[in-house]
Amino acid sequence: MTLYCTLGEMMIAALARTITNGELVFHGFGSPLAQLAMHVAKRTHAPQMVLIAGATYGVDPQPPFLTPTTNDWVVDRGASCSLDIEELFDLAAAGRMGRMFLSGLQIDKWGNCNVTALGGRRVTMKLPGGGGGGNLSCDAQHVTLWTPAHRSPPDAEGRRRFRLVERCDFITSFGHRDSEGRPRAAYGHVGRGPQFLVTELGLFDFDAEGHMRLAATYPDVSADEIQDNTGFVLRMSDSIGVIAPPCRTIVEMIRAMDPLRIHEKEIREQDLRRRFEIQAQKETA
Amino acid sequence: MPASPRPIYTDPDKRRGLDELAAMVPNGATVAIGGGLSSRAPMALLRAILRRGIKGLTAVGSAHGIDIDLLCAGGALVRSMESYVGFEQDFGLAPNFRRACESGAVEASDSCCYTLVQQLRAAIEGLPFMPIRSVRGTDFVALHPEYKVMTCPFTGDELLLAPAIEPDVALIHAQFGDAAGNLLIQGPPVADILFAKASKAVVATVEQIIPPSELRSLPGKNVPYFYVAALAEVPMGAHPTACYPFHAYDRAHMSLYHHAARQGPAAFKAHYLDLYVHGASTHEAYLDLIGGETICTRLQSWRDGEEAWMRLYDEEAQA
Repeated sequence: MTLYCTLGEMMIAALARTITNGELVFHGFGSPLAQLAMHVAKRTHAPQMVLIAGATYGVDPQPPFLTPTTNDWVVDRGASCSLDIEELFDLAAAGRMGRMFLSGLQIDKWGNCNVTALGGRRVTMKLPGGGGGGNLSCDAQHVTLWTPAHRSPPDAEGRRRFRLVERCDFITSFGHRDSEGRPRAAYGHVGRGPQFLVTELGLFDFDAEGHMRLAATYPDVSADEIQDNTGFVLRMSDSIGVIAPPCRTIVEMIRAMDPLRIHEKEIREQDLRRRFEIQAQKETA
Repeated sequence: MPASPRPIYTDPDKRRGLDELAAMVPNGATVAIGGGLSSRAPMALLRAILRRGIKGLTAVGSAHGIDIDLLCAGGALVRSMESYVGFEQDFGLAPNFRRACESGAVEASDSCCYTLVQQLRAAIEGLPFMPIRSVRGTDFVALHPEYKVMTCPFTGDELLLAPAIEPDVALIHAQFGDAAGNLLIQGPPVADILFAKASKAVVATVEQIIPPSELRSLPGKNVPYFYVAALAEVPMGAHPTACYPFHAYDRAHMSLYHHAARQGPAAFKAHYLDLYVHGASTHEAYLDLIGGETICTRLQSWRDGEEAWMRLYDEEAQA
């Protein structure tokens, strides 16, 4: 009998709940948590979502297992068809993509993400780059952000390197305001920007100004701990909720889809040990 | 820059040796590299290019990993306009690419997938640019002084104009080809078809050269022969990336590669570059070096069912 779920499974369930039935949803590469969340949503509350897999652009695939690489025929198995790269991005530019999942090594208070480089004019750390994030953050109707590395303990010299920062060193994907504070509406982009952020510490939404706001925490995390790990003053929702664990069916679904536990590669050692009691009842998201 | 009149290639027999293909990439060329991430990268051709000591290349493309990382380590690249260079969550950052960008040896002119698609489309259509609405508001605009912003004469909206990109050479590894240069790509074509049409020439390696009638009977996406300047039959030419249905991704080799790359430039040179690139003067010698038939058989075992396919990822985790 499955009685507990892991943090990864909690995050996957929280990400899945951000998906609406009937929307076209895309994940990029190197995103197993988002990838699994999409498969969970498709098999539970959002059977009519259009699931498009990153890198292969397969439509509604049913991969027999998750792999640590995204452009593999495993990931494309059972797809009803595959899109060309240009077709996928055209769909977004024309306003047909309902949701995209994005992450960053830095995420700022407006939901901008950086996966390009740390450092200013002089790059101190070159990151891989954002793939299509620079385009899709503007074009997708909604964006769900996630990071399993919100926690930022002090290093040996006592310095904090926050994941959630006041300001990104480089804006790879666009949030609600640019680096000068100019709002998204001024650009006339097709998409409406980040709607949620799911981290290993909490769930966030964005207020009318486009500023990040704490909406819910995990049962084992306090709002103070979240603020302490955040590089700017958090705004708080009127009532801070508690993130619900997934039901047993969903936990078992995730374990069946990811027998190699690929999604745990995203999660830090200390968070791999976190356990949450699960619901016996079927989830009604 | 307006697209120049572009050649077509009508030689009925374009079969050449791998080294002859590599010789068709001049110093300083802009190259588009086919495949993506862990799949169908033209690795044998890139190793041949590095052995020839070709320098000054600019790479354009979308999501890549070992191919661009190896070009950085081999000293062939001076500029990257890729949208992603890394090893996903599996191995993480691309160590040689990272060092090259941080030291300034390679200019990091990162781009975004759709921006590149539109720039290639402009070249394909013989237009100087294509507009996009996205990217404005990000820092890519500052990274690319060549982008322009205009007000749309029809709607009054602000648009970003990205100039045409016409690569000198597209380097592509496909499953099948015929002697005249028709290519057949099975599975996700990534940006290969766009690369083929936008570039001045395609130089290709294929798993098998087959008769044209057979090529036409197989499913997949075609690159018509007149885009292709030359091709060579190079079985396992994408190794260690995958080339289904012939073989899966060689995760053990990728792990060996990444481990060597993480140890720094000297260790990478000694334990990888001098061994697998400069130490194997031909592709056949490379295949012998990586384990020959044993490796081929192992990487074909994905066909034996899901358990066998999964094992390829599982057992390699220990490498």
